[in-house]
Amino acid sequence: MHDIHVIDPVTRIEGHAKITLHLDDGGSIADARFHVTEFRGFEEFCRGRPLDEMPALTARTCGICPVSHLLAGAKATDALCAVRIPPPAVLQRRLANLGQIVQSHVLSFFHLSAPDLLLGMESDPAVRNVFGLMAAEPEIVRRGIRLRQFGQEVIASVAFDKIHGGGIVTGGVAEPFTTAKRDAVVGWLDEVHASALATWDLLWSVTDQFADEIAIFGDFDSLYLSHCLPDGTWEHIDGNLRITGADGQIVVDQFDPADYLELLGESGKTDSYLKAPYYKPYVDGDDPRPGMYRVGPLARINNAERFGTPEADARLALLRERFGRTATSAFLYHHARVLEVIASIERIAALMDDPELLTWPVRADAGVNALRGVGASEAPRGTLFHDYSVDRQGLITGVNLVIATGQNDLAINRTITDIARAYVHGPDDLTDGALNRIEAGVRAYDPCLSCSTHAVGQMPMVVELVAPDGEVIAHRRRD
Amino acid sequence: MSRPSLAVWKFASCDGCQLSLLSAEDELLTLAEEVHIAHFLEATREVAPGPYDVSLVEGSITTPADAERIRHVRSISGTLITIGACATAGGIQALRNLADVEAYTNLVYAHPEYVSTLAESTSIAQHVPVDFELRGCPVEVPQLLEVVSALLAGRKPVTPPHAVCLECKLRGAVCVMVAHGTPCLGPITQAGCGARCPAFNRGCYGCFGPMETPNTASLSDRLHDELGVDDDDLARLLRTFNADAPEFRAEARRRDSIAAAREEATT
Ligand code: SF4
Ligand code: SF4
Repeated sequence: MHDIHVIDPVTRIEGHAKITLHLDDGGSIADARFHVTEFRGFEEFCRGRPLDEMPALTARTCGICPVSHLLAGAKATDALCAVRIPPPAVLQRRLANLGQIVQSHVLSFFHLSAPDLLLGMESDPAVRNVFGLMAAEPEIVRRGIRLRQFGQEVIASVAFDKIHGGGIVTGGVAEPFTTAKRDAVVGWLDEVHASALATWDLLWSVTDQFADEIAIFGDFDSLYLSHCLPDGTWEHIDGNLRITGADGQIVVDQFDPADYLELLGESGKTDSYLKAPYYKPYVDGDDPRPGMYRVGPLARINNAERFGTPEADARLALLRERFGRTATSAFLYHHARVLEVIASIERIAALMDDPELLTWPVRADAGVNALRGVGASEAPRGTLFHDYSVDRQGLITGVNLVIATGQNDLAINRTITDIARAYVHGPDDLTDGALNRIEAGVRAYDPCLSCSTHAVGQMPMVVELVAPDGEVIAHRRRD
Repeated sequence: MSRPSLAVWKFASCDGCQLSLLSAEDELLTLAEEVHIAHFLEATREVAPGPYDVSLVEGSITTPADAERIRHVRSISGTLITIGACATAGGIQALRNLADVEAYTNLVYAHPEYVSTLAESTSIAQHVPVDFELRGCPVEVPQLLEVVSALLAGRKPVTPPHAVCLECKLRGAVCVMVAHGTPCLGPITQAGCGARCPAFNRGCYGCFGPMETPNTASLSDRLHDELGVDDDDLARLLRTFNADAPEFRAEARRRDSIAAAREEATT
């Protein structure tokens, strides 16, 4: 390994994904890195704020998964107040998270990845976007739009609003659920369940065409981290953590997320604004890579034995029959996302039948009872930790946020290294096809940045090929 | 006639505002038929630059590179519309304007020397002329669509000139200050949300930012004298998503100095 090329801050291109490919002395790809270049400073500016503002403040970290931040933030403040939230509030929060998983995964699948998957990686970039797909396959796009609307409405039924809603608060939720809201959600169920199953059929039917990508896109051993119930059932917000290895062995189970610092170390990278956590016990020295783990849909389906809902489980069995008990290729994140959409809809249906959903009280009231509180949940992209400290007045003195994209960072780098090795052979070889595949490799993880900087259309990116001495010998920019 | 072109630009933000546009799925597809959506075409010397008929700008300016980039965006845009609290008032990240950036980056990053950032998060209008500012955190989609279609049609967008307070009255919501003594920024906050928070018995926290010529000082005095909100809490109330909006910023500072003066008097 050669030294990392330090990016000159002046040449940083905000709003673009920046990727550097590092060559070794023989001219082959030694390493590839994905850089995040935006800094807003939440960890610091939240200091001095009252604890009950935190869910709404940190929701502004991300407009794509604000509900995840609302939930993790609310859970961290519950812990500061040492309250156990009332059961109907638990159900409402679960409902909001399921809605969030549906809308976010659907956005990732239909708006961002389906153009690649259905129109082909080599197709004209001018039409390889959701508008091009709309022209070619209007029915499919409509289905995606309806599914996403459903997810958004489920979120709004709890949070009051699709983005940055105020209904999720310290101690529970703001309002009891109503029969009117329930009936509105129930009215959608048949349609969205059928659409989700049709989406799986579509993805499954094109899976064979991507045998190469499945083999090259991040197919390597890593650890997987997510919430999981003790009996192995898929879990998305409550309970404890499980870590498994590529061989399916359970490495850690039912670990309290409040103690995450015992498991996870954080390496601040020199070349990105993203912090890259690793699994501590596997790291000895400076190189965090032996501790690489993946979070998100792939990790959740690998850690769980089952979803616990019928149609999702039937399809999970198909996936396992084909790719083994542990799905190791990052390409299969797409499959895991569609499975989670099905499972979430089936879980939402079950919640609608639970009479406790409509009961109250929905909020526990308390002051500061602990000086530190950690809240964790499964955001669509992976496990999210909010860790707050307060003073006796309940004013924030410290914040640490561990986000999914950061946790996948080491794996994203490994994935694009593999792709670059397969498709880039020297300075004259940064072709469109190679760039598309690098982009698709990054997108498989659905990093926040992927939807954030380019919700529609292709990812603006800068790829640099860097010689062992740090000189940039080829540079391609796609706007 | 060729379709007018529309570009969406992102600066420091959470993306919630542009995702609001994406959430207006049906309308977005209709819009896509009327305009050519040229997203994030960051023009460079090599690539044929815009110009774009309309640019929507989300996010605030937090880095030297972005301060350059927004000037470029302005130069290739016909009409430039800023969307959301980040773009119109520096956003939640403008809270850092009150503190020392070095402390921030040191706290968050192991290698702060590589973090290139400006001391302040500032609104787009502090850098370039802006044709229309649409407030909200996030913006309301119907308003956004109204602004875009009005500007494409060459007419003035119709957005409410009044405060959230009036929206409460319009929807028949009980005033949370009168009924429950809950502090509320509704009287000085730009309308547009339909008084969402007061309708659920919560005070407005001003996510739409100040209305035109708000009487900020008089509301804040009333909150202080009648509802017993202390100066620190008042300053905090004004310092959320629109902390750097001039009217909110000035009043929060006034509260700071009152608190400081009182402290001095007691010691
Ligand atoms: S104004 Fe609010 S919703 Fe819009 S980008 Fe900024 S933080 Fe996000
Ligand atoms: S009531 Fe105030 S805080 Fe609530 S959405 Fe409206 S403007 Fe924002």
